[in-house]
Amino acid sequence: MMNNVLLVATREFKQILAMKSFWLTLLILPVALALGPILGETLADEDATRVTVVDRSGGSAAAALEARFGFEDDGETLRSLSRYVQRYDLAAADPQAPWAQHDRWYTPADVAAFRQAGGLDGALEKIERVRPEGVPQFEPDSPSYAFLPAPAELDGLDGAAFADAAQDLFDSDADDAPEIVVLVGANYPADPRVGLYSANQPRASFVATMQEVLTGDLRSRLLAERGISGAEAVAIQTAAPAIAVTTPPPGGGAREALLVRSIVPLALSYILMMSLMLSGSWMLQGSVEERSNKLLESLLACITPEELMYGKLLGALTVGLLMIAVWAGCAAAAAYATQGVISDMIRPALEPVSSPGIILAILYFFIAGYIGISALFVAVGAMVDSMSEAQGYLMPILLAILLPITFLLQAVLAGREGLIVQVLTWVPLWTPFAVLARLGMGIETWVLVGSGALLAAAIALEMIFIGRLFRASLLATGQKPTLKRVLGRFRPQAH
Amino acid sequence: MAVLEVSNLTKRFGDVLAVDDLSFAVAPGEIFGFLGGNGAGKTTTLRMVLDIIRPTSGTITILGSGPDRRNAAAIGFLPEERGLYSGMSAIETIVYFGKLKGMDAATARSRGMDLLARFDLADRAKSDIGDMSKGMAQKVQLATSLVNEPELLMLDEPFSGLDPVNQGLLQNEILSASQRGAAVIFSTHVMQHAERLCDRLLLLRKGRKRFEGTLEQARAELPASLIAVSKADMGGVPGVADAKPVGQPDGEWREWDVKLAPGVAPETVLEHCSANGVALRRWDERRASLHDVFVQLVGGEGVEK
Repeated sequence: MMNNVLLVATREFKQILAMKSFWLTLLILPVALALGPILGETLADEDATRVTVVDRSGGSAAAALEARFGFEDDGETLRSLSRYVQRYDLAAADPQAPWAQHDRWYTPADVAAFRQAGGLDGALEKIERVRPEGVPQFEPDSPSYAFLPAPAELDGLDGAAFADAAQDLFDSDADDAPEIVVLVGANYPADPRVGLYSANQPRASFVATMQEVLTGDLRSRLLAERGISGAEAVAIQTAAPAIAVTTPPPGGGAREALLVRSIVPLALSYILMMSLMLSGSWMLQGSVEERSNKLLESLLACITPEELMYGKLLGALTVGLLMIAVWAGCAAAAAYATQGVISDMIRPALEPVSSPGIILAILYFFIAGYIGISALFVAVGAMVDSMSEAQGYLMPILLAILLPITFLLQAVLAGREGLIVQVLTWVPLWTPFAVLARLGMGIETWVLVGSGALLAAAIALEMIFIGRLFRASLLATGQKPTLKRVLGRFRPQAH
Repeated sequence: MAVLEVSNLTKRFGDVLAVDDLSFAVAPGEIFGFLGGNGAGKTTTLRMVLDIIRPTSGTITILGSGPDRRNAAAIGFLPEERGLYSGMSAIETIVYFGKLKGMDAATARSRGMDLLARFDLADRAKSDIGDMSKGMAQKVQLATSLVNEPELLMLDEPFSGLDPVNQGLLQNEILSASQRGAAVIFSTHVMQHAERLCDRLLLLRKGRKRFEGTLEQARAELPASLIAVSKADMGGVPGVADAKPVGQPDGEWREWDVKLAPGVAPETVLEHCSANGVALRRWDERRASLHDVFVQLVGGEGVEK
């Protein structure tokens, strides 16, 4: 029997491999994954927003704004550098430097010290001395805002004329045209109105920071007017609590860690779903061909319906495993090629799926899922005479499988293990997807074993009933498979 | 020992009695015609022999054992509804079916190439079935049933859809399988093929056997008739059931359309005429054709001469 099953499986496998759609699909995923980051980088808006401040009050407001945004950018760079140093354990480069200390939310004093010590260039010079081979170089984010001198077109204009001129600048699309124009009037601060003109909806953070800076400036001037010295006024304005911060190392935060740990399990669940749908539909095409080409009788003269069914399932499983092997190979090649960056991400991601027991569980649920769901495709293939007829039966089956899985993946991504996730874990149709997806969150051993046993029992029952349906449907060409007929075929019969 | 022995075989599909208490046997080297109109139970019987469907009652013995896929190595089968995988080449298809019948790939390939050469398809061995004409594909399918040199060759309506050249080719294959010692069963509703090839025949009607025997025995089922020119009244000759004069007499001579009594051989009547001085100038026996027998026993529906 096994020999015939293998022969059928080999033929199914070869037939699917001969399809152009198989190769296209096989290559689409790695190509899409490779193109994703490239497109992401290409499409990402990394240019700084160009800002012009027209300060007719003497220039101190403009200077304050520019200084503050520069300071914010340096603060962001400092925090980013600090996480880089913490991730790759490079604090030895200068243990006293603020970027080597991760115990607090950086204050303006820290940023000032960072600037004092040479800013980013100074820090990188020190880090470079201790950076081991394989650790990627630090890549700073681009500054958020670039401040441009006020263009001559805005000189002497006020009110609607100023707004029109600003709009003309926005519309010009020139590389050096501002995207935001801030107008500080000549009577500022007596007249505290400040105009903000923007080509697009300005970011809330920009408006908030601008308001904070101008408010500080305004209050300092008012304090000075009331006899408080400039230095005291500044001290009052800049007084801030020191906030001590304890954060997990990069990749170690609860939410972040969950996401990282769930990457591989979620991918496994998703890949199982995708490869099942694909190989299932290819197998269905083969079954429909056998029926429509009327070659079943020739086959059944040589092999039993059960051998034919198991051969088809084995063929589909082999195709699925091949697809996954190729995709995993592509991922490994990408990790090897990019060394530090991806492998650094993959290492913690592989952690939850690297123990032998979990690997066995993955294999079990993957294979069981494949057999369980592919059998449904086999059943449809045995009943229909054409692909269009098959679509009618497939649609409800696909919806029944895919919709709950979509909810499941979203729930796992959000870190929820609510009722829906529990139910999906215990219903054999969705068990493989749910268990694979939950491996990253951590799944109790008894749930793993219990749901696995239930799945095995369900597949055994499924094989009995689908075997009967398959056998009874094979030679019933031309008979419309009404519900009554289909139910009748589930009953045991002497052929 | 018979290659195939069927005893009291019955198959019911719900209320429909498809095969009714059928018994027959086929010996090695024998060509056995399985004749019947549409729905007579021919295909159902062949499917039961192949174990594709199981009988309601009765027994089937193939080479001494019950129907089982383990007999696949000894059986060749050409179904009525034919088709192959369109994406496989001719030789791959033959090798695949050979392997399903337990052959090793090399032998299946070698025999497959021989068969394709015999069928004038050697140069198309690597062509996909989907790229072949219907006639070519049918020959490839015939090759799949012959590749294992079966001891029992079953062909369900093998001549349907074949042009005269390919019908001749198939006829040769049937004869050569028989000469090799294989028992050949083929179902058909074309009487000419059965008359030309079959050693024995079985006529089925609504699942029930109406006749089994040689062609001569089949013909004997119908009363013989003949044209005689005689001076005497043929109606009075013993063994003659009915004699009608035809046309005008030529002097004393007259032509008679004679029907003999059932079971009476024309030579017996001729012998009586000679012995008793009945003058005869012409004696033309008109032998019943298989078509006549079929129409008489089974009914004329769905039958071709």
